[in-house]
Amino acid sequence: MLGFLAGEAARDLRRAGRVGLSAILLITLSLAALGCFWLLSLNLGRAVEQWRERVRVVAYLREEPRGAGVDDLLARVQALDGVQRVRFVSRAEALSSLKRSLGAQASVVDQLPRNPLPASLEVTPTPEAATPDGTRELVQRLSAMSEVDEVQGGAEWVESLAQWQRLFQLTGLGVGAVLALAAILTVTTATTLVLHARRDEMEIMRLVGATEAVIRLPLLLQGMTQGLLGAALALAALVAAHAVFAPRLEPLLTLTLGLARSVFLSPAQMALLLAGGAMLGAFGGLLAKGRAYS
Amino acid sequence: MIRLHHVGKTFGAGPAKHTALADITFGIDKGEFVVLNGPSGAGKTTLLRLLYRDEVPTEGDVEVAGFDVPALSRRRIPRLRRSIGIVFQDAKLLAGRTVFENIAFVLRVIGTPRKEVTPRAFTALKAVGLSARAQAYPAQLSQGEAQRASLARAIAKSPQLLLADEPTGNLDEEMADEILDVIEDIWQRGTTVLLATHQAALAEQLKRRTLTMRQGRLLKDEG
Repeated sequence: MLGFLAGEAARDLRRAGRVGLSAILLITLSLAALGCFWLLSLNLGRAVEQWRERVRVVAYLREEPRGAGVDDLLARVQALDGVQRVRFVSRAEALSSLKRSLGAQASVVDQLPRNPLPASLEVTPTPEAATPDGTRELVQRLSAMSEVDEVQGGAEWVESLAQWQRLFQLTGLGVGAVLALAAILTVTTATTLVLHARRDEMEIMRLVGATEAVIRLPLLLQGMTQGLLGAALALAALVAAHAVFAPRLEPLLTLTLGLARSVFLSPAQMALLLAGGAMLGAFGGLLAKGRAYS
Repeated sequence: MIRLHHVGKTFGAGPAKHTALADITFGIDKGEFVVLNGPSGAGKTTLLRLLYRDEVPTEGDVEVAGFDVPALSRRRIPRLRRSIGIVFQDAKLLAGRTVFENIAFVLRVIGTPRKEVTPRAFTALKAVGLSARAQAYPAQLSQGEAQRASLARAIAKSPQLLLADEPTGNLDEEMADEILDVIEDIWQRGTTVLLATHQAALAEQLKRRTLTMRQGRLLKDEG
């Protein structure tokens, strides 16, 4: 029976002609737009996660502690809320680090009469605390310690990156929703046209004792097929666009966001996109008028 | 097979009220061949429509093949209709399908297993003498052939009851006789037949029990 109904749905799809094709193209457009913003948001999300992991708060010390004083200080800082890791950087280590970063100009450091750099604590916040509020609280706690002279660091810029990510998500959903609505209406129109073409068939089906499910299922399958085809085309377009543009954009991503490479949708996300297309189409098919026993 | 008890049917209300059927009571037993005769507007088609639940009576009881027809829920209407074969004055064949496909389509939509569809369709076509025209489209058929195809479609699902509404109305005398012969054959194989016609001569020619209607009332039940 299902094979027969699927055959009838394919027949209906051919009957829908250009309107049916338009519905497929609109679904392709809406899901491709949605997929585009999804990809952008996905990659920005990865950058945000990566940068959250790299958020550091540096507490400069008034004096360099010695011996057991270092361990004691490390233990007290590690015990603070929102601290994942803490590392002691001695004055000597800070100076050699400066030399490394100066490269060829490192000899300038040797001209200094004494090491001007203070010892410091490099604090890595927990993922939950790697937010503007979290780091602000951490800075306050560290500043309150008598050994600490000055504290630097925060997560404001990571948060603004996260805000961009949310903006992409919202824009994607908005554009996708508008196009999806247009797609649903087009599927509904295509299905209604088919309903008109099928008036005689439906009358015969009704008279011979076909159930309402049998009468309406081809319409539902027709809508789902349109949706699925549209989603598959959108996915193919996204795969092609990613294959073409990702290698060209990756150097820019590395430079600006620190991402080594861009990622594409996972198999589960691709399946979700296809299912979304099928649902869009099915909804359009269901909206078409024509109750069998009205 | 059919029981009608004080059945009435009106359409509209107030000054526009029209009584299509009034106080109709009769019964048809299983295996009977009954002719429903009367001029146009007598209420024959309305009565047939009550039998396959295309209309609901305003009053009275209608029982067909064990179903209390007016009380049937929408979900159960298909069950009633599967036990009835219906033939109309216009054959109502689907233009885009061949004769065979028209019959197969009906069998598929009522859930006949795929392997049974072809043998049952060809058995029905053979019964109406139309096997040779199985692959023809409705536009390629004569009116008589189209009506025979319609009969084949009606009997393919092995109904207990055949309702024929003016099946010879569009046909010349020779073709009408062919169709009546086919309907007689179907009846002789055990199907109960109720044939509606406005042609009094045809009713006499058939020499069967005849219900005569005028202006929505049953006037005579003879034979």
